[in-house]
Amino acid sequence: MTKKKICLLGAFAVGKTSLVQQYVNSIFSDKYHTTVGVKIEKTSVDVDGEAVDLIIWDLHGEDDFQHVRLSYLKGSAGLIFVADGTRHSTLATALNLRQIAESSMGSLPFMLLVNKADLADQWEIDDEVMEDLRGQGISVIPTSAKTGQSVEWAFEELARKMVGK
Amino acid sequence: MGSPNTDNESKKKESTEEASIDALKHLLFQPESDRLAMLENRLDDPMTRANEISRSLPEAVSLSVMEGDRLTRVIQPVIDDSLKESVRKNPKALADAIFPALGPGIRKAITATIMGMIQSLNQVLNHSFSIQGIKWRLEALRTGRQFAEVVMLNTLVYQVEQIFLVHGDTGIVLEHVVAEGAMIQDPDLVSGMLTAIQDFVRDSFSTDGESESDGDLDTLRIGSNRSVWVEKGEHAFLAAVIRGNPPMELRTFYREIIEDLHLKAGSALAAFDGNTQPFALFRETLNSGLRFKEREDSQQISPVVWLIVALMVAAAVALPAYWGYRVNQASQEWKGRLEKIRDQKGVLVVSVERDDGVYRLNGLKDPLVEDPLTVLASENRSDIRARWQPFYSLDPAFVFQRAQTLLNPPPGVTLSLDRNTLIAKGKADQAWIDTFDIRATAIPGIDAANGDTLVNTDRIALSTAVNTLTALKIYFENNSTELIPGQTQKLSRLIETIRDVNRLMVILNLSVQITIVGHTDSSGTEKYNMKLSRERAETIYAFVKSRSMSYGFINTLGVGTQVRLKEETREEDRQFNRAVSFRANVLSANQGTPLNRRALQDPHPKPDGS
Ligand SMILES: Nc1nc2c(ncn2[C@@H]2O[C@H](COP(=O)(O)OP(=O)(O)OP(=O)(O)O)[C@@H](O)[C@H]2O)c(=O)[nH]1
Ligand SMILES: [Mg+2]
Repeated sequence: MTKKKICLLGAFAVGKTSLVQQYVNSIFSDKYHTTVGVKIEKTSVDVDGEAVDLIIWDLHGEDDFQHVRLSYLKGSAGLIFVADGTRHSTLATALNLRQIAESSMGSLPFMLLVNKADLADQWEIDDEVMEDLRGQGISVIPTSAKTGQSVEWAFEELARKMVGK
Repeated sequence: MGSPNTDNESKKKESTEEASIDALKHLLFQPESDRLAMLENRLDDPMTRANEISRSLPEAVSLSVMEGDRLTRVIQPVIDDSLKESVRKNPKALADAIFPALGPGIRKAITATIMGMIQSLNQVLNHSFSIQGIKWRLEALRTGRQFAEVVMLNTLVYQVEQIFLVHGDTGIVLEHVVAEGAMIQDPDLVSGMLTAIQDFVRDSFSTDGESESDGDLDTLRIGSNRSVWVEKGEHAFLAAVIRGNPPMELRTFYREIIEDLHLKAGSALAAFDGNTQPFALFRETLNSGLRFKEREDSQQISPVVWLIVALMVAAAVALPAYWGYRVNQASQEWKGRLEKIRDQKGVLVVSVERDDGVYRLNGLKDPLVEDPLTVLASENRSDIRARWQPFYSLDPAFVFQRAQTLLNPPPGVTLSLDRNTLIAKGKADQAWIDTFDIRATAIPGIDAANGDTLVNTDRIALSTAVNTLTALKIYFENNSTELIPGQTQKLSRLIETIRDVNRLMVILNLSVQITIVGHTDSSGTEKYNMKLSRERAETIYAFVKSRSMSYGFINTLGVGTQVRLKEETREEDRQFNRAVSFRANVLSANQGTPLNRRALQDPHPKPDGS
């Protein structure tokens, strides 16, 4: 059995917990309970015929980069950075977190999810910015934890990258 | 050399010659001999030699090192010895040298020991003044043990419920074992959280001065009675979830497991990429860490027994008057004797009465106890009259012996008792397995019977018979229903096997369907061959019918050339298809009642019974 640890990072209330809940348990709630510390979930994913257990560490939201608990990232095989499409600042936070993670962990497979895609009318991050990031080789995926849009796909794409297929 | 005279003369002459040769040598070799003398001196005088060797020694050693480890091997014993000598003469120098390395280790060991002592002291103090404590004081007085020892015995009751072996960086479970009956969550989630908590603790509380492992979490307390012990190694940690009060030695054991893991799989741990397969090896070791200790309750008497006693007492109206303390009046000597009788397992003295210099005992005894009075020497029995009512003692030894006697297991079966479950292992026939299933739980003291691993010998015999049958082929003359000669033995094997199958299916409560299948070779028309094959099958059927009592479970089938027993590539192959073969189908008779539960299981029982 192969097991891989992945971590979700991003600013407060961008929907990290919601994404994990949508992916692992197919549920969504409008209520916001901020995560304290870390919440761990587990699910099994099939990568080209091979079953891989994902141990998902859903970390608390982080706006203050001075205090990122890097120790939680230890041993990760992949990372997911989450931004909230309705708040432009959260994208910068996500990119900053990525920088910090990379400097301490080296380069790991990762994804950048721009969440809350269902709230199109309040959207602050335009396509051009996302295209730009893609041009830098970053996998940017608009998702919605509410409707489930691209959620499963995003996790599975990361799993595929981690297994190296 | 004849006369002495000539001898003397020649000697004189020689000596003069010698002198002149010496002078010549001196002239010729003076410089060389000086050099020789110097060389001799260099070799003989240790100071000079030492001086010279000391100049070339470093080069010599480094050359020797380059050539391999011979020098090391040669020198090692010398160094060993001199080290020993040096330590003997001046221990302080060595102590000073290794102190920085040993210090932290020793400190940790001492801390652990003191923690252990505090823990046990705590228990002793906690229990000193409770009712329980008073009980234990009495127990200490009675048994002559130290009070602390009694408390330890009574409180060191624990069970290790789960053990996680966790990869330190990822928090992924490498291996996980659970004690029977313990409730569990998904181990990966638990270990992930445990890892996160440790990270958190280390980040938050370890101070700069301390070495890294000093700031580690090593115990988590959950409620008043459960704890998680964490034993950390370089790349992995072990976490044991323990209910109750485990002894400190257990920690040492876990420490050893984690050290052993690193020793054996250190590199696999360092390069861990999520594949947990290699660590399955350590499952056994972890299982051996799932320890528990039960309260020692040798004195405890089962409630069932008390109930019987109560009924007895109620029935014997005359007895209550003499209950218990009457005995106090008896002499010290009598007390000793009575104690001996009472101390036997399976014996309960309910009352004692003294009457005309005779002791009258009333009590209960397990039928397995011959005569409770035989513990006394015969002259000490003469003044005792005892009346015993039978009762079943629930002492495990008695329960087990009763099971052994009542179930009378065949030689291939061993019984064992695990608390109140009777376990049977080995090989037995269906009849005994049935007996075990029905009767085991009816034995007093046994609540459950477990014969899951019993190998059913009848079941094996049936599959052997079926195999024999399906391997059997009976051959016919060309284009005929006449058998080819020389098959008498096969025919009697056929009849024997069919009888076996019939007998075993009755025993096992199964139904077996046997089909006699007729075949032909590929010459002749399809239609004719179908008919011939059917007739061949029927010929054998008629034969079986004439020799066997029951044949209701046998039918016939002609398949002509449709089912080949052998491909006909040569002329000789045809004979193999002029034949009948046999098929057997094992079906269950009726939906399994518990009685034939095992008969329905697994159509191909493995002989090892696993
Ligand atoms: N409309 C919409 N709302 C979302 C979506 N994802 C999350 N939310 C809401 O956003 C809020 C925050 O979601 P969480 O998943 O708790 O956010 P988080 O990133 O885990 O927050 P922290 O744990 O505090 O860092 C909740 O009220 C969610 O219901 C989404 O895709 N669409
Ligand atoms: Mg959250």
